[in-house]
Amino acid sequence: MDTVVEVSGLEKRFGRVRALDGLDLSVRAGEVHGFLGPNGAGKSTTIRILLGLARASAGTARVFGRDPWSDAVALHRRLGYVPGDVNLWPNLSGGEAIDLISRLRGGTADKTAFRERKQRLIDVFQFDPTKKGRAYSKGNRQKVALIAAFATPADLLILDEPTSGLDPLMEAVFDTEVHRAAAEGTTVLLSSHILSEVEQLCDRVTIIRAGRTAETGTLADLRHLTRTEVSFAVDGVPDAAAPASPDAVAPDARPAAAPGAAPASLQAAAPAPREAAAHRHAGPQSDLRDLAAALPGAHDLAIDAGRAHFTVDSDALPPVLEALARLDVRGLTVAPPSLEELFLRHYGDHPARPDPADRQAPAPTIPPTTDPRP
Amino acid sequence: MNADALALLPALLRQRLRRDRWQLAFWILGTALLALFAAVAVADSYADETERNQILALAISSPAILILRGLPQGGGLDAFVFFEIFTYLALLAALMSTFLAVRHSRGEEESGRAELIASTPAARSLPTVATLVHGVLANLVLGAAVFAGLALGGMAVDGSLVTGAATAAVGIAFVAVGLLAAQFLRTSRGANGLSVALVGTAFLLRGIGDALGTPTGPLELQSAWPSWLSPIGWAQHTGAYTSNTLVPLLLDLALAAVCVTVVFVLQAHRDSGASLVAERRGRTDAAAALSGSFGLAWRLQRGAIVAWAAGGAAFGLLAGTLASLVEQAASQDAAVADSLQSVAGAGGSMTETLIAALFSFVGVLAAACATQAVIRLRQEESAGTAELLLSTPLSRVRWLVDYLALGVAAIAIVLVVAAAAATAGLLSAGEDVSLVGQSFATAAAQLPAALSYLGLLALLFVLMPKATVAVGWAFVAFGVVVGNFGGLLGLPDGVRDLSPFTHTPVVSAAEPDWGGGAWLMGVAVVAGAASVVLMRHRELNTA
Repeated sequence: MDTVVEVSGLEKRFGRVRALDGLDLSVRAGEVHGFLGPNGAGKSTTIRILLGLARASAGTARVFGRDPWSDAVALHRRLGYVPGDVNLWPNLSGGEAIDLISRLRGGTADKTAFRERKQRLIDVFQFDPTKKGRAYSKGNRQKVALIAAFATPADLLILDEPTSGLDPLMEAVFDTEVHRAAAEGTTVLLSSHILSEVEQLCDRVTIIRAGRTAETGTLADLRHLTRTEVSFAVDGVPDAAAPASPDAVAPDARPAAAPGAAPASLQAAAPAPREAAAHRHAGPQSDLRDLAAALPGAHDLAIDAGRAHFTVDSDALPPVLEALARLDVRGLTVAPPSLEELFLRHYGDHPARPDPADRQAPAPTIPPTTDPRP
Repeated sequence: MNADALALLPALLRQRLRRDRWQLAFWILGTALLALFAAVAVADSYADETERNQILALAISSPAILILRGLPQGGGLDAFVFFEIFTYLALLAALMSTFLAVRHSRGEEESGRAELIASTPAARSLPTVATLVHGVLANLVLGAAVFAGLALGGMAVDGSLVTGAATAAVGIAFVAVGLLAAQFLRTSRGANGLSVALVGTAFLLRGIGDALGTPTGPLELQSAWPSWLSPIGWAQHTGAYTSNTLVPLLLDLALAAVCVTVVFVLQAHRDSGASLVAERRGRTDAAAALSGSFGLAWRLQRGAIVAWAAGGAAFGLLAGTLASLVEQAASQDAAVADSLQSVAGAGGSMTETLIAALFSFVGVLAAACATQAVIRLRQEESAGTAELLLSTPLSRVRWLVDYLALGVAAIAIVLVVAAAAATAGLLSAGEDVSLVGQSFATAAAQLPAALSYLGLLALLFVLMPKATVAVGWAFVAFGVVVGNFGGLLGLPDGVRDLSPFTHTPVVSAAEPDWGGGAWLMGVAVVAGAASVVLMRHRELNTA
């Protein structure tokens, strides 16, 4: 079978509220499929329908070619699930909860193999299975569902914002386990609102918004949607228009500053407010024009509080980095855009933000208000 | 605590009032109505003083009855009402108060909401002050309502005032006891369990004190020392309608003051969310029994089932021993035997009637146990744990059926334990072995009503999940008041027929009517089957 999950024209109404409004989703066998959308877009509602916990108001949903509502039990023998907000039985230990779910899923038929898998996962997730359910933090509750999901081999894993509450180290462990499952042939549907997580793991992505499919395709297809944010200290940049001599820039002399290091360099590089004001009066327009000329592919260029900010299409990043190296910039930060910003840029419906069309061209003036970015 | 923080008190109080308005209204109105109906019904049924004297003579001659009533203070009508009803008013006030205290202290800490409030200038101690004030206010209103109920029922005003004050004092003492219990245990469930056990102990201590009391005049007793260990006992010593003294209530207030002091000292020294009794660590792996939803249902409810069964055992033991005591009294005194027979009615011996009466309470415990099984199902659904279960190859229908099966098992456990305890009581008193069969038959007769609770609530859970918890407990309370106390309260037959307990077969009757039991079984089976069929079409409702 080629398609594991096939959803078309899915609708779900709660009274007068349309949680899903004609959603389409297609997950192919063996792929890791990202299911992206802002909070309240209908990701969890879709997943509840795919699990047969809720019934579609209209449209069709098929998992392994079967109706998830009427064939729930048969389908659930083949899948594992991690909810976004895991709730545990207060008086059961984490280890007991993992065993209970695994036994219900039939994963404990081979006791030795199960015990090994469970122990390995407990080790890699650094999980204490002896605490009572009510005593776990959010991240640790999440680990219970993750360990239970990975401990029993499945044909399909449905993961609903599975890393919420996990620290970065544990997110890395999660990534490894998803790769391991995918290598064993498991199809994965990963819902998330964190773009970088999806970029690291997924072959294909479906983006939903307000209960409808907004985009779907491979990450390469969606490259045009992702734009990286770059900022650096303006102060100390030599005559922007004059290209620095190539031999003056050693490739490893000034790597992109780690985000944690940025504030220190910002303080060092940012001029005092009065000086900054003077700097602006000296001719920000010409500075901007010069910078724009030196940075091919930079969008939304602006200077604020002594720092230049711009965005760049993710696939056009290398030439910009080269240009930045030639400029010998300090306090450089490079950050992927959050999904919310992505949505604002492409489907902008946020009244407080400028019209997205205006943001395509380099900003002609310095934004008058403080920029929320670091 | 400074004046700034104190200014936040009204806000915290309003939040408590807002959250509790329906629940407290229900408790207070229910207690006041119990007082009113008792006053009216006693005046109606026992208008004749010789009749009242007969009952009191019977109670004094077989003191175990006093455990379930109070301290006789002579045959006056008002004093007789106080004897019949006050300990129950005090019991309701105590339970209302401990539940209130735990709900706003440990319950909030467990849910994490306390942390949110503690991060404001209200800090950690002001919420406790607010809970205390809220509890005291609730009990003052309760006392006023009890006074109003009794006075409206035609009782003397001064004695009714004393009764109201005594009820409120017991409640205030138990607000403090509940707050103290909340300091010790990590969960609200645990703190509530400890509080209810303390309330039960207080009720029992005064019961034992009354039962061991010494006569001080005709139809008057002075209770023995155990009664002086109980906040309810102290309140009884006000002697409402006879001596009318408020002095013993100072003991209740002193207990409250001591408990509250300890609470604030403990709270000043512990972390928010921590408890004095540390939580035990759990198992690394699940036991073999925890492999499906039946095993899970048992695991989640076994503590509660043991508690209900312990209650059943207490009533069973009481029935067994009381029965033989009454027979002894009757064999020694012809007048007592006469009055016994008049109470028992035609057919059946006094012993059998007593067993039947006490087992009607066992039936209530079994029904409560069944109600809890279905409520647990709803709690799993609303807490989100059901979603984890139902994402495995466990069907909704199987999930429901497993919990219902556990409900049936729990009912059986409570009834069998009660019958076994009654048997032990009867045999230790050297009773006839034939009564053993009688006690098991009486226990079996409670089965249909309990099963009808299970089936009807399961149907409600499927059709209106959000109403399950509130309607479940309200239905039990309704059944008890209308079914078990309907006679005492003088309710018309049409109303009493609405309670399943009214239709429980009375085995001691000359010709037991099993028809009611058959009807109840029919209701239970139809409702249970309908819930299973409809569950197939129901979505999970976590809201």
